[in-house]
Amino acid sequence: MKPDNPLLPQLATLQDVIDLTPDIKLFKLQLNDPAVRESFDYQPGQFVFLSAFGVGEAPFTFVSVPYRKTGLEFAVRRIGTVTNALHELEPGATLGVRGSFGNGFPLEEYRGKNIFIIGGGIGMAPLRPIVLTVLDHRDDYGELLIINGARTPQDLVFAPEFDTWAAAPRTKLELTVDAGDENWTGRVALVPSVVSELKLSPLNAIAITCGPPIMIHFTLIELKKLGFADNQIVTTLESKMKCGLGKCARCNVGQKYICQDGPVFTLEQISELIEQF
Amino acid sequence: MTQLISKKDLLAWLGGLLKERLLVAPTRVEDLILFRKVDQVEEIVLDFDNTALSPKEWFFPTTETLFFVERKDGQVELTPATVEQEVVVFGLRPCDASGIAMMDSPFLAEPADTLYQQHREKTTLVGLSCLTACPECFCTSMGSAPNDPTHLDVLLTEVEEGYIVQIVTEKGKALLPDELLSTTEVSPPSPPSPSPVPSEGIVNKMRQNFDAPYWSRVADRCIHCNICAYVCPTCYCFDVRDYTDKGKIERVRSWESCQSPGFTRIAGGYDPRSTKGARMRQRFYHKLLYFPEGFGALHCVGCGRCVRSCPVNIDIREIIQDVQKLGAPSEAR
Repeated sequence: MKPDNPLLPQLATLQDVIDLTPDIKLFKLQLNDPAVRESFDYQPGQFVFLSAFGVGEAPFTFVSVPYRKTGLEFAVRRIGTVTNALHELEPGATLGVRGSFGNGFPLEEYRGKNIFIIGGGIGMAPLRPIVLTVLDHRDDYGELLIINGARTPQDLVFAPEFDTWAAAPRTKLELTVDAGDENWTGRVALVPSVVSELKLSPLNAIAITCGPPIMIHFTLIELKKLGFADNQIVTTLESKMKCGLGKCARCNVGQKYICQDGPVFTLEQISELIEQF
Repeated sequence: MTQLISKKDLLAWLGGLLKERLLVAPTRVEDLILFRKVDQVEEIVLDFDNTALSPKEWFFPTTETLFFVERKDGQVELTPATVEQEVVVFGLRPCDASGIAMMDSPFLAEPADTLYQQHREKTTLVGLSCLTACPECFCTSMGSAPNDPTHLDVLLTEVEEGYIVQIVTEKGKALLPDELLSTTEVSPPSPPSPSPVPSEGIVNKMRQNFDAPYWSRVADRCIHCNICAYVCPTCYCFDVRDYTDKGKIERVRSWESCQSPGFTRIAGGYDPRSTKGARMRQRFYHKLLYFPEGFGALHCVGCGRCVRSCPVNIDIREIIQDVQKLGAPSEAR
């Protein structure tokens, strides 16, 4: 096996599968080759292609952080061909991992700043490594506010961690749902209106948002209204992609390839693109 | 000093080559001229305008296995495909050699695409100068020429006495030994002059006209048959899929086109380029803005194949002319 073939995945073993919501599972993997495992590095916001052999591969962002040494973790929503196949797998199964790809979040630049995490549904996936990094290095960052929205209470991702997040110093967790149920006593509101209602202050702050395109669209509008400059607003773009190497020519937005120049962009960088998604 | 090979010696040389390696050359397939594996020298067509398809498929096959997946005693094993065979592509036109050089830009950029790189390393390119220009071709407007040796290993130009030989690379020198060549005073014919296309400054014009309604209007008649990408010597978009047959799994790469509906549709249904106008714009912006910005050359070699093939007459030459006029003072009002 030629390890330098960039389209050839590394083999990994599924260690654990945990239901996060009715249609989202957390996958914990370990790379099979000890040497590869040792040298494999990644940053929050980067992604890999996961292969379900015989079905195909698709890109997924890390929900783990490398320094915790928990193995590679991914939150996968059952929504297409590859994710359907992944959801059928059980611990012990062999998968392919190809990566890591993309630019990741420039967390160094966020040090000392107030951090607003604004996620909707599976859009919380790329944001969780930021939450973990800030909580694990609490003194390096300012206030942390997490707005986590979902369609219904049972669709809120990472629920087992909410208590830990909310209890951390200088940290607030705001949960919101589009529609509640009989047990839900929390907020019923769309994510953009929560952003507006909480009057987030742009002073020394960075707002990082990910979610469905429509949620991102209106969240950006609210952040702009609150006075956030374009370089204080960060989002991750999603796209169909096949290689992660800037070769398959599938994931470009104008001149940029999401797989290499992204997936993390500031609104300032997005505004400079000739094409808008 | 000009070097020459007689037609008889050329054919004898090719006859020798095809015994030791895969010789790919223009051949007649029904009423088309196509690059195909040649078993006998007589199959080679030497008198043609250009082939219906470029030789791109010999570097970037229409469909190619990337690796095989096997399960042995419960263990998964991956075996990457490799390219073993030495190949000579004979008879390609300078424009098509230019197209291969353009595919090199993305595919050989680090980390290089392994299979493409192997195809390239194992292949020697022997080109044939164009003696006439096709009605639709415009290579001289795209940085190439009918007698451009730049991206070839050997270039041959037909003259009455045989073929003038230009050895361009060491690889070419190794393939065509000096003993077969004689020196001659014959001067090469002057190259034909394809009709020019106003490509000068087009990158800037593209940059200024992204939001022009022009793109939707041109796209209206597109029936997304994808023939433009299929015949294009520079288009390189690809798809990757897994195939399972009787328990054997292969990961396969195939040609794809940005004009296909769903090319950018992600799981869940969102498609940032859901309209014909957006997809057509992507095609011409990749060729005339994004690729030039990334790799320094217009992503078109002027072979004219898309012009000839498009069933609804979408013509890149006209598009370049039209875009040059977009936003001009007379139309700005």
